[in-house]
Amino acid sequence: MNAPLDSFRYDDAIVRKFLFATFVWGLVGMLVGLIIALQLAVPSLNAAEWLTFGRLRPLHTNAVIFAFAGNAFFCGAYYSTQRLLKARMFSDFLSNFHFWGWQLIIVAAALTLPLGFTQAKEYAELEWPIDIAIAVVWVVFAVNFFGTIARRRERHLYVAIWFYIASIVTVAILHIFNNLSVPVGALKSYSIYAGAQDAFMQWWYGHNAVAFFLTTPFLGLMYYFMPKAAERPVFSYRLSIVHFWTLVFMYIWAGPHHLHYTALPEWASTLGMVFSVMLLMPSWGGMVNGLLTLRGAWHKVVEDPILKFFVVAITAYGMATFEGPMLSIKSVNGLAHYTDWIIAHVHTGALGWNGFLTFGMIYWLLPRLFQTPLYSKKLAETHFWFGTFGMIFYAAAIYSAGLTQGLMWRAFDVTGRLQFPDFIETTMKLMPMYWMRAVGGTLYIVGMVLFGINIFKTWAARPKQYDQPVMQAPPLPRKFPEPATDSQPAGVWARFTGAAWHRRWEGLPLTFTVWTVVAVVVASLFEILPTFLIRSNIPTIASVKPYTPLELAGRDLYIREGCFNCHSQMIRPFRHETERYGDYSKPGESVYDHPFLWGSRRIGPDLAREGGKYPDLWHVRHMQEPKAITAHSIMPPYPKMLTNKLDFEGLQKRVDAMAMLGVPYGDAVHRAPQMAREQAKTLADGIVAQGGPAGLEDKEIVAMVAYLQRLGHDIKTTGAVTSASLAPAPRGGN
Amino acid sequence: MRLSDIMSHAGLSIYAEIAMVIFMAVFVGILIRTFRPSKAKEIEALGRLPLEDGTPTTKPPGGTR
Repeated sequence: MNAPLDSFRYDDAIVRKFLFATFVWGLVGMLVGLIIALQLAVPSLNAAEWLTFGRLRPLHTNAVIFAFAGNAFFCGAYYSTQRLLKARMFSDFLSNFHFWGWQLIIVAAALTLPLGFTQAKEYAELEWPIDIAIAVVWVVFAVNFFGTIARRRERHLYVAIWFYIASIVTVAILHIFNNLSVPVGALKSYSIYAGAQDAFMQWWYGHNAVAFFLTTPFLGLMYYFMPKAAERPVFSYRLSIVHFWTLVFMYIWAGPHHLHYTALPEWASTLGMVFSVMLLMPSWGGMVNGLLTLRGAWHKVVEDPILKFFVVAITAYGMATFEGPMLSIKSVNGLAHYTDWIIAHVHTGALGWNGFLTFGMIYWLLPRLFQTPLYSKKLAETHFWFGTFGMIFYAAAIYSAGLTQGLMWRAFDVTGRLQFPDFIETTMKLMPMYWMRAVGGTLYIVGMVLFGINIFKTWAARPKQYDQPVMQAPPLPRKFPEPATDSQPAGVWARFTGAAWHRRWEGLPLTFTVWTVVAVVVASLFEILPTFLIRSNIPTIASVKPYTPLELAGRDLYIREGCFNCHSQMIRPFRHETERYGDYSKPGESVYDHPFLWGSRRIGPDLAREGGKYPDLWHVRHMQEPKAITAHSIMPPYPKMLTNKLDFEGLQKRVDAMAMLGVPYGDAVHRAPQMAREQAKTLADGIVAQGGPAGLEDKEIVAMVAYLQRLGHDIKTTGAVTSASLAPAPRGGN
Repeated sequence: MRLSDIMSHAGLSIYAEIAMVIFMAVFVGILIRTFRPSKAKEIEALGRLPLEDGTPTTKPPGGTR
């Protein structure tokens, strides 16, 4: 009966590495967050071009998501996976390759983003060579992970492993499909999708990055570390199974709620809303499951900072997953979208759920990994309170900022005119809240420093040589042995309800993984494909033409400077928006936009109809020093654009890439630089005629102005929307 | 004729509803299977896995836990 036991050791060295990386990148990411928060209150902090808000904001989001939360997930996953599977990781080499590869990618991101290399897609800003590296490292992680599963000594895969599997396979799919692009240089590419389709792809990715990078991996961690810390099994294992499958079935559909009232087909928007609202159920099921794991152990929460962190983390998960569905309801979203409300929502999740779960987990791991008691429980307790108060300050300030600005944008006076027609009025109102947010962020970072001291001091007290205990477990037999008690059931129903098949099925990770992928892929296809393949979804507009080579160059500058981080190009069909910005945006307007630049936040006004509103010279002055035009503007100045030379020769390659993607460029594929020079000359002469500086015809600023003046221009010429059947769809559309 | 022309005229909109029904059916199946009272004890016992790790196990492989 007793099989001979296997002896093996767990690899904790890799867990320690990921632990340090989690702390270091977390601190860096949060500090960058504090800088950009302060830049909104003190615009003069936009000291150099590589330090502007537009370039640092993606660095902050990427650092906290992929570097802090990413390393935290790997740290916890490497620890728990080995123990749940009773096996050492498949290969130490792959583990280390994963670790160093991932850190290199983070360094590459930290260098390229401030330098202005970006794909302009939120949380997918990194350019194509780094994207390829991410894919390689991710595959290495997957091989290592599934290899470990294959060598496991525990038949049943605990639910945490399911969450890890779903995360690994889904992130791979999301990453690859959203980043498909045509390179036009070492660090420049154009998305193969355009306009509404690109937007759909991006938010399918963006939403599911939150789902499968920040939610499911951390739920896996919760289902392992919460029972560990509480020293009792999860409240209901059956609930956790349902939690898992519901999330896998529903999350994928919810992406379009990021695009309510935009030029996305309405059916997609509604579908996204319905699934988002339904998500409340499993999310709260999971939250209850996590909290009730403490049943009969609540008294421990008083003394144990680890449990405190977990309780707040799970509560934050509950709050964020309540708010998410509410924000997905179109009418609520109409108020909240483009405002700080979304930023507040995201930070409830990031600071509360991901941050606190990570802190709790690492405090639990420290004594076990460094084989010495935690340096100071009291310090951990202090960290908890700094973090909690930091979050409260942050959230209170930014929720009220979002609500205030949203209400001001839509306010009409008694005569039926916009009450705050000047956008800057709505910005100035937020200053006290921006300061309060900076205070909250600082408190949270102080907590982070205390965390660092605790990590360092515990590490310093480690033994000279780590004890590596030898574990023992029987190997799994190749074939699943039928339990003797299970006699062969008769009918179909009996076979379905019989326990044997599901034990066998759950013991087959490959089958399990395949079905998870099927659920994710089928959902994605049914939601996304119609927009790509059924024409009526994107009615074309005959008067919309591709950008001229010079405008395209300007668009690339707009991307480089990250203008889309503060300016949307998507006017929603609300009276207060059409009143403020002009006619609402149509899907046909952005058919040549590789990538789309609809934006998701309005720190400054929408620019979709900016073209022709002001003279060229106005734009030159405004880019040079925004405060010269709008006294209280918080936009960074871009004086370098008036002196930097524009790379005309490089334009040909870019136009050719666009043409390859189906943009009808005609003549420009032969003489893009020449055309750009001609347009630049005309534009520069016009600026001189208006009394502006001379000699701008070969500077970046002319391209920028040309692009800004083009925005919304085409639809103003005729404004006619042709029906789908009359006009040919753009070739890039399929 | 491009792929989008064919797809536009293929009348595919019904497939979305079919997908919805399939999804619901699978989900209800999982729900029923998971919450069968007869298997409650067996499934809940699996929830103890994280607490058992790190200890050498001597139970016969493959047996019900």
